[in-house]
Amino acid sequence: MEQNEEKVEEIFVQEGVLLLSGPASHIEYMKLTGTLYITRYEKHENEYSTIFIEWKPNENLTIDSDIQDQEWAVVNTVEKRTRTLSGSLIPEEANRSKYLRVNFDTIKSFKVANSGRKILFNDGRGDVICTFSFQNGNSTCFIASLRQHIKTAPSRRDKNLYIVVGEIGNNDKQIETSFKTLSLFPDDHNYMWSFVKNFQHRPYETTMEAFAKVTNIGNYFWNYYFLEYLIVYNERPLDDETKEVLNKSIIAIESATTTHTQDDYEVVANVPKLPDRKDCPRSKPLTKEQWLDLQNCEGKIEDVDGIKLLIFRGGVTPSLRKSVWKYLLNYYSWESTQKERDQVTKDKKEEYYRMKTQWMTMTKMQEDNFSDYRERKSLIEKDVNRTDRAYDFYAGDNNPHLQLLNDILMTYVMYNFDLGYVQGMSDLLSPILYLLQDEVDAFWCFVGFMEKVLSNFDIDQAGMKEQLQHLHTLLAFTEPELSTYLDNHDSGNMFFCFRWLLVWFKRELNQEDVMKLWEVLWTGLPCQNFHLLICLAILETEKRALMDNNYGFTEILKHINELSLKLNVNFLLNKAEGIYRQIEEATHANDNVRDIVGLPKLENGNMDSPNTASFTYLESSADHASVNIDTNEVSYERGISNSYL
Amino acid sequence: MRPTNKNTMLKVVILGDGGVGKSCLMNRFVSNHFDEHSFHTIGVEFLNKDIEIDGETYTLQIWDTAGQERFKTLRTPFYRGSDICLLTYAVDDKVSFRNLSMWKNEFLYYADVKEHLHFPFIVVGNKSDISNEEREVSQIELESWCNENGICNCIETSAKNASNVQEAFKMAVQYWLKAESRADKNEYSCNDTIDLTKKSGESRSSCCIGATEE
Ligand SMILES: Nc1nc2c(ncn2[C@@H]2O[C@H](COP(=O)(O)OP(=O)(O)OP(=O)(O)O)[C@@H](O)[C@H]2O)c(=O)[nH]1
Ligand SMILES: [Mg+2]
Repeated sequence: MEQNEEKVEEIFVQEGVLLLSGPASHIEYMKLTGTLYITRYEKHENEYSTIFIEWKPNENLTIDSDIQDQEWAVVNTVEKRTRTLSGSLIPEEANRSKYLRVNFDTIKSFKVANSGRKILFNDGRGDVICTFSFQNGNSTCFIASLRQHIKTAPSRRDKNLYIVVGEIGNNDKQIETSFKTLSLFPDDHNYMWSFVKNFQHRPYETTMEAFAKVTNIGNYFWNYYFLEYLIVYNERPLDDETKEVLNKSIIAIESATTTHTQDDYEVVANVPKLPDRKDCPRSKPLTKEQWLDLQNCEGKIEDVDGIKLLIFRGGVTPSLRKSVWKYLLNYYSWESTQKERDQVTKDKKEEYYRMKTQWMTMTKMQEDNFSDYRERKSLIEKDVNRTDRAYDFYAGDNNPHLQLLNDILMTYVMYNFDLGYVQGMSDLLSPILYLLQDEVDAFWCFVGFMEKVLSNFDIDQAGMKEQLQHLHTLLAFTEPELSTYLDNHDSGNMFFCFRWLLVWFKRELNQEDVMKLWEVLWTGLPCQNFHLLICLAILETEKRALMDNNYGFTEILKHINELSLKLNVNFLLNKAEGIYRQIEEATHANDNVRDIVGLPKLENGNMDSPNTASFTYLESSADHASVNIDTNEVSYERGISNSYL
Repeated sequence: MRPTNKNTMLKVVILGDGGVGKSCLMNRFVSNHFDEHSFHTIGVEFLNKDIEIDGETYTLQIWDTAGQERFKTLRTPFYRGSDICLLTYAVDDKVSFRNLSMWKNEFLYYADVKEHLHFPFIVVGNKSDISNEEREVSQIELESWCNENGICNCIETSAKNASNVQEAFKMAVQYWLKAESRADKNEYSCNDTIDLTKKSGESRSSCCIGATEE
């Protein structure tokens, strides 16, 4: 509501600008032509910059307002949900959400390509926030106007890259106040100077350590403020040596934080390396003996975590699945006794048939007057006929198992009418029914599975969009080269992974493998969103094929679609777990990445504990290929660094 | 973007409700194959197929998407740059016929088509093989809907028994050729840039007003 009274000053407007890539929330606007603005808003509490770039698609309206509203509402929801991820993408009121709006707090650098016809905005963490293509003319005027309001520094390495330093005008004051709040070196300039010297040795870590303490808005942004401050505002004259230190620092920070791209070559700059990949071999499946051993005399599972771990490591022996899946899918609670389970079975059976009767007894007249219901019913009928018919269990005309599929899905409609039936659900049910071969059990286990993937079926697809965005964030961290490649080939929205995620690889694997994978994923180990790491494992495997063939948007989609039934589950699980361990151990993993897999935020920015970590870093600075500074240069800085911390 | 051979590449999207037979039509056309029990579509798929018309070869890049309303936001980005749109329904499914308008609007809105009036839409009534008792939409209804909506091409097909499927795609390309030549003639008389500018300028201001009024 407050935003309604907000004043917007349009500083610059350019028509005919195509959105080439952007956040997943704006997936439906990609490739659309629109208008690019530079705008200034009144200052917001959490933002230091008042300058935004905004982009809005052209409207060629021939659609009733009804549909439109829905559309905007969709985007709006997504923005709200992903706000924490996308920094200052501001949630807007519904009818403005088609604007792509990015604050200059978020933009750390921008790059001009294609003789000025393309411009990429970077977030400084290796991700491209958005890319625009100028259809009429080029970006010269836009950049000229931008530079009247945003202070930029040309990159030392790439003349087409501009580092965002800050906003012109309130810059000076901001720096002052922000360094006061830093209060790291309150009155003592020598103290500050020792800090500067540290740049020489390990610029990336030094700044991270220092600034992560005070602020969680873009660290790199502050690097520039800080260096600016030293150069411009310091009373002490800069000697050549110090100048060089600062210059080197800037280059090193640039290297560590920006991704360079151009149409004909791609260089991913020295992003800090991930720890080595561990081999995580699979174990034997959970056996009947183990399963019985882990239950006490009442039939209660004694060591739930232990059993989950066994399942995660090796899956479940096929003959045991029938029992174990009921726990994994929350039909039975792990803590229940045999007696309690018998009761649950009885109660759930009654409940199921009560719901089933509701739709079975619907009269023709009721149905005629109930279009939502009719629609669902008819789609279920169509989809049941198209579900896993190649498998014996569902093959042939009038196969009774098809009727069961139909009845369970219809009853689910009554169980959760708001959700109803969404395409994809029959794929999720099919293996469960095949395994359990019992209508009631299959229904409740299906309910349990749906509970885990409910957001895949959101009316506005917000859950799917969010996952695609998460996947991109993870990929940018583990495979920056591939992620950049995808961004530059119109595939940064990760849409080609949609089918994988919607039905958890059901269409990509044969029946046995689907069951193997799902039971592992249902354990929730080793981390949340582990299915996204399976995606990473596949993408990593296909990386060379995609990049060496220089595949574009359509070829990428085709290649990924055609992986169906060519994947090896054990190999992927091994790899995905290895990727998880890397993320877990990576000291430079940002909080976005850690958050997605459910790791706690690192309290001091990216350091576990500043005191001990400073030693580790110094000791192992040679490993940090990220920092292009000659490590032999000044080793006495160790002492200073330690005393500073 | 376009392949190295000198065929003209045309992007064709097939739209219509879930289960009307979009994927079956595509597979019949591309590989002359019909699988009664193939999966419903998740996400998007596409296949390429050459077609010859008047001695010229055209490569059709056919896009097939999921029909359920829910998947709209993830399907619409693929409309852009389409040359031809097949609006499909099933003759035994009245609802799918009624939804044609919705599909047409959705397409026009997201495809960023310059000339709405002459865009090559083809209306396809699939499953023409079904018995008369099962039929819910007559050929006459089809024709009158097309008349009302300014679409001059419609055809009933059966992916099942392969009737009219080649014809439908051929018709689409022929109509595209017609529309192309008309557009060529008009090229000098209209100025797109100015038009666009006006439109987006207007919509932005109205948008802002909307926001402040609330
Ligand atoms: N009788 C008859 N049935 C057909 C014909 N074409 C398709 N079908 C049947 O209609 C059902 C749906 O066909 P699909 O091609 O999967 O439908 P779709 O439009 O792609 O549906 P979504 O992928 O869900 O959007 C299939 O089970 C086919 O057997 C036809 O020409 N005649
Ligand atoms: Mg289909």
